Parts: sequence; C-alpha cells; structure tokens
Amino acid sequence: MLEAAPSLGVPGIFVPLLDAPRLALPLDGMKVSAGFPSPAGDYEDKRLDINTYLVRNPVSTFFFPVQGDSMEGAEIFDGDILVVDKSVRARHGHIVIAFVNGERLVKRLFRRVGRVALVAENPSYPPLEIQEGMEMAVWGVVVGKFKRLSY
Amino acid sequence: MPVFALVDCNNFYASCEKLFDPKLVHTPVVVLSNNDGCVVARSAEVKALGIPMGVPWFQLKEAAKQHGIVAFSSNYALYADMSNRVVEVLAGFTPNLEVYSIDESFLDFSGFEHLGYAAYGSTIRQRVQDWLGLAVCVGIGPTKTLSKLANHCAKKNHAGKDGVCDFTTMSPEVLTALFGKIEVGEVWGVGRKISARLQSMGINTVRDLRDAKAETIRAQFSVVVKRTVRELRGVSCLALDEVVPDKQQIMSSRSFGSRVYALQELEEAVASYMSRAAEKLRGQESVAGAVSVSIRTSPFNPDEPQYQRSVTVPLPEPTADTRQLVRWAIRILRRIYRPGYAYQKAGVMLSEIVPRHLRQASLFAQPEREGRSDGVMQVMDSINQRWGRGVLRVAAEGMDKSWQMKRGNLSPRYSTEWAALPVVLAR
Repeated sequence: MLEAAPSLGVPGIFVPLLDAPRLALPLDGMKVSAGFPSPAGDYEDKRLDINTYLVRNPVSTFFFPVQGDSMEGAEIFDGDILVVDKSVRARHGHIVIAFVNGERLVKRLFRRVGRVALVAENPSYPPLEIQEGMEMAVWGVVVGKFKRLSY
Repeated sequence: MPVFALVDCNNFYASCEKLFDPKLVHTPVVVLSNNDGCVVARSAEVKALGIPMGVPWFQLKEAAKQHGIVAFSSNYALYADMSNRVVEVLAGFTPNLEVYSIDESFLDFSGFEHLGYAAYGSTIRQRVQDWLGLAVCVGIGPTKTLSKLANHCAKKNHAGKDGVCDFTTMSPEVLTALFGKIEVGEVWGVGRKISARLQSMGINTVRDLRDAKAETIRAQFSVVVKRTVRELRGVSCLALDEVVPDKQQIMSSRSFGSRVYALQELEEAVASYMSRAAEKLRGQESVAGAVSVSIRTSPFNPDEPQYQRSVTVPLPEPTADTRQLVRWAIRILRRIYRPGYAYQKAGVMLSEIVPRHLRQASLFAQPEREGRSDGVMQVMDSINQRWGRGVLRVAAEGMDKSWQMKRGNLSPRYSTEWAALPVVLAR
C-alpha cells in the first residue's frame, strides 16, 4: 500500500507505508493451472447458517428456554429453546410469551369477539381467560425453537 | 439547515431490569453503582416516591422496606446488549448517528423535513418500543444543544407530546416563554459549577443564558460556554462525532468490595486493572508511553487515617504488552504503598497513547523482541476472545480476587449468556 509520505511532504512522491494494513484477497476455488477445472465451480453456494433460518430480525430476537409440558400439542417441549421475535405484532393464533400475574408463560393467543385468552396445547391445562382487571402483557411472538441433544 | 434529534432511553438501566422480569411490572426498581453504593437509575415508581438520584443505598433501606423497592447491582452485560440493540434500531432511521452514551444517541435529521420531524420521531419511538420494549424520548432541534434541551422537555412533559418534542416547528415566542421556565443548569454542558456562577450573575434560566451578552460570556467563561450560547440561539457549532476518536488516556479504576490492607492484594487488583487497560489499548491498535497508578483510602471515613498517592512514570519504550505494563504498574505501586492504611480504591491509567504504527523507536529499541511481544499479545487476546475474558492472564492478577467489587443482587445476563436465559413456563 502506498501513501504520500507525510514526513517528506513532497507532492507526488509516494513511499511504502510502514505497517501497511493487509488486504486479503480470497483466492477463488479454481487455481490457474493445467488440468480440467472443477465442474462444480460455478455452482458453489454459501454454507447454510442456522441463524438465518431461525432468526429473521436479529436485533429484536431473544431466546427463552421452556419449562413444562403444556405446549406439547404445538411441538414445544420441556427444555426447548424458543426463538422470540419482539418485532412481530401478536395476532390471534400466534404462540406468544406473555407476562401474567408475575409469571412468564408460553401460550397460544386467542383474541376473538372481545374475548382474550391464553390457551395451552395440552388437554390437561385449561385455557386462561383474561378477565377485566387482570394484567396480561404479550412480550413477543414465538417464531421458532431449537435444542441441542446430548451425544 | 441541519436538524438533530436526541433519542434517550427512559430510566434505561431500570427499564432493562423490568423488561425481562415479570415480577417487576409495577415494582419500584433502583439500580446501584459499583459495589452497590448509590442509586444510579430509578424506575418511574421510584421517581414518583420522590427518591433522588445518587442516594446511598444504605440510607434507603427503610424506605425500601416500606415501599417494596427492589435494588439491583449494575448488570453491564445486559445494559450493553440492550444499548447496542437500540443503536441498531436507530441506525435504520438515519445515515448519520452518534452514540453519545449508553442510553443516548444523536441522529442527523437534516433533509427529513418532508417526513415531518415530529412524526418521524414518533415512528422511531414506536419502533424502539415495539421491537425492544424500551421507552425512549425524542428531542428535535437545529443544534445538538437544542435537541438535548428538547429531549429534556419531552421527558419532563414541558413541551411536545407523547415523548417527542420538536423545537423546529415551535414559534420564537413559544420557545422564549418555554426557555424562561427552564433552569439554566439543564442546558447540556452547563454543569453545577458553571450554573452557580451564571446564577450569581443573574442568569437563572435558559432564556437568560440565550439572551446574555456575548461579551459578558466571553469575558467570564470558556469558549465552551460561548459555543453553548450560540447553539441555544440556533447556530449549529457542534457536528455529529460519528467516529469515536481513539482515547488519549485509558483508565481502569474501581472501588474494592471491602477494605484492602495487604500489598499483595493491591498488587493483584492493580495487575487486573492494568490487564484490562492493556487489552483496550491493543483494541485500538495503540501503544502507551506512560503508566500511572493511584491508590487511596476512603474519604468518607474521616476517622480512619487517610492516605492517597498517584504516580506517573514514562516508559523507556512505548508498549501495549500486558506483561511489561503490569510489571511497571506493580513497580510504581510498591513505591507508593504504605502499610497500615485501609485502602478503598486503586486505579491505573495509560497515557501518551499513539497508534502502534507511529511508535517511535528509541536508541535502545529491540525490534525483534517487539515483534515477539506483539505475537504473544495477539495469541492472548484471541484466546480470551474465544474462551472468555481473563481465561489467559498474567499470574500477578492472582486467583481468588477477594478484593473484587461487590455485586450483591445481580440479575442474570438474560440476553447474552446461554445459561442465564429467562425461562418461560409451559403450564
């Protein structure tokens, strides 16, 4: 990398910069060499990244581990980690994280004909009707889940 | 004409604590400074109780019991993550942004007139609320100083509405009346000392300062105050500092969890602070030419014998090598340490900082040794980056660090650590 030498102060005189920043250029998969070029060279894709699969909006995404079995009907199991996107507006039918009476819950949001309820996905848990005067705040919408297995 | 917006998170630390804990929805929450000393953040409920900023926590124990105030130690990992997220959201609204502090950013609104500044501010406010669950206020003005003042008005409900206050669309008469009601100490850059001096000259309100004679101000105060007056009059003197300049001094100091008497413990503390400072130094690709170390007893215990000392030593060769810097720091410490005192705080400072590639070699420089030192530090930094800060460290830092700061009620790192994620109940 060349730069005008400040100490010389002569316009148009260039000297190499000490400690110049390195510019690393990626070498393409194909070498310039004899032999047949890789037939796959034109089809190279980026390796898949699970982040881009699970997380649509990283800035507003948070993770919550699950404790309990009330959402098994929605394939959310004890120990799963939920991907929660706060930027998604919660609608009827979404699975949500909600703050109710000092507890952090995962439920399906029911919001129809003036009725609001948090519904479990397991017959042994009755729906939680949100009555007048009760405090319920939807924290975010569950958009995915993941889990690491022991091996 | 340039237009600036200052976006400021309301009760930032306390709001971060409340965000993740469903038990705190209506609970008065305070966040305490290092070593759980004083109140540094208050939730709205605490403000409503009339508890001021900066009160020592031990003085609040009674009130806390009575009102159920919950106190948290400063959870910097959490606040830093939320702060970065806020900045990321804000950056989507303007090409030019200056992060002013952990909870404040200046945004360049120039050229956004067709969007309506206040409407745009409301959109930003709504976006941060929706995406991150944090409340912000937006102040808009033709100078940075005025945007900061507008933010103050938005927050205190003096002007504007719904947390947004736009000075650019208010008439001069309205602004004059408003400025006449705000104390001069609220102006950005007017600290307690300056405002006391201004008041002794009969300058009590923002309006007084804005309309003060230029000669009077110039004669009595620094150029900074003069510039502030110009900014209050709507002349933009301060541009956005988009790029944070490298620090000319790097400091690392902290109060101890309990009093420290022994030299060895002080040495460990000083070595740890120096390691941290050296890491920052290398992070900005610089070397330091001077090292300072300071120690002191607690000024709040006048009954104890008092001692404080600070010494700066120029280095023979500027360096960023943790091992060398720690060696120098300990050498200084041993010189200033006096036995028999109850030490409460120690600190180190690096100065004479220059970019690494501009380092001037002395007559006795050994370039091949420097190359080796750079290599060792690079390895150390990359190991610590990958496996966690302090995994690889100089032995002088010690193992158990009994002097470390007290953080009695630290909330989990809800958003930055797998083991600390907030659990949701499926039941």
